[in-house]
Amino acid sequence: MKYNSQPSTNPMPQREFEIIIAPDGSVELTVKGYKGKSCLEAMKIFEKIVGELKSRRETSEFYEPEERVQWNIDQRH
Amino acid sequence: MSCVCILTPVVIAAWPQFSAAVVAAATTLGYTLMDGEQKGAAQDQQVSLEIEQSEIVTGQLGRDQRVRVMRDGVMVTFSRDARGRATVCVSGKGRTEEELRALGEELSRRVVQKYVHQRLLDEIKARQFVVVEEEVDENQAIRLKVRHWDG
Repeated sequence: MKYNSQPSTNPMPQREFEIIIAPDGSVELTVKGYKGKSCLEAMKIFEKIVGELKSRRETSEFYEPEERVQWNIDQRH
Repeated sequence: MSCVCILTPVVIAAWPQFSAAVVAAATTLGYTLMDGEQKGAAQDQQVSLEIEQSEIVTGQLGRDQRVRVMRDGVMVTFSRDARGRATVCVSGKGRTEEELRALGEELSRRVVQKYVHQRLLDEIKARQFVVVEEEVDENQAIRLKVRHWDG
């Protein structure tokens, strides 16, 4: 299924998340578009939603100068 | 790319959310939802399982909350035990314990997948994330591509 609801042009920084929900419910999350440790804050949102962090690895962009991003990570049920 | 992680699901759901996931998973695997109090025959082989890391929250204490599905003579009953955990009872005539356990585990895993999928959709939309792609691959994994614009 494809959605076409994303803005066509947007000057704001775009963050992309690839989520694979395995048949057993475990989730592999790839976070793109962040530099530095700000991606960890984004990851925490998904950790709150799904469950427990099993493993994590960083790519080269993780070690680039950090951005300042603020998230609301309130738990919702 | 910045980082990659693996998350283990924890199911904390109200009964309506959980039973919706059961129905969705069962339908996907070809089970039929059973009405009423139909039970398996006494001579049926029976196996009880538990969904790990699950908690079914309810404000309706004492209510008998369960959902039953059936496929090829195998009945699977999902319910909430006294501790709030999701339990699964699988029964079927002429089936070995191993067969019933495998069927129960397959369906239980798919219930968790459906629960996680719906919870993710609800939560990321509430946070103004946009789902731009969604597909089920040949391994029955659900793949989502989600975008968010900082502003």
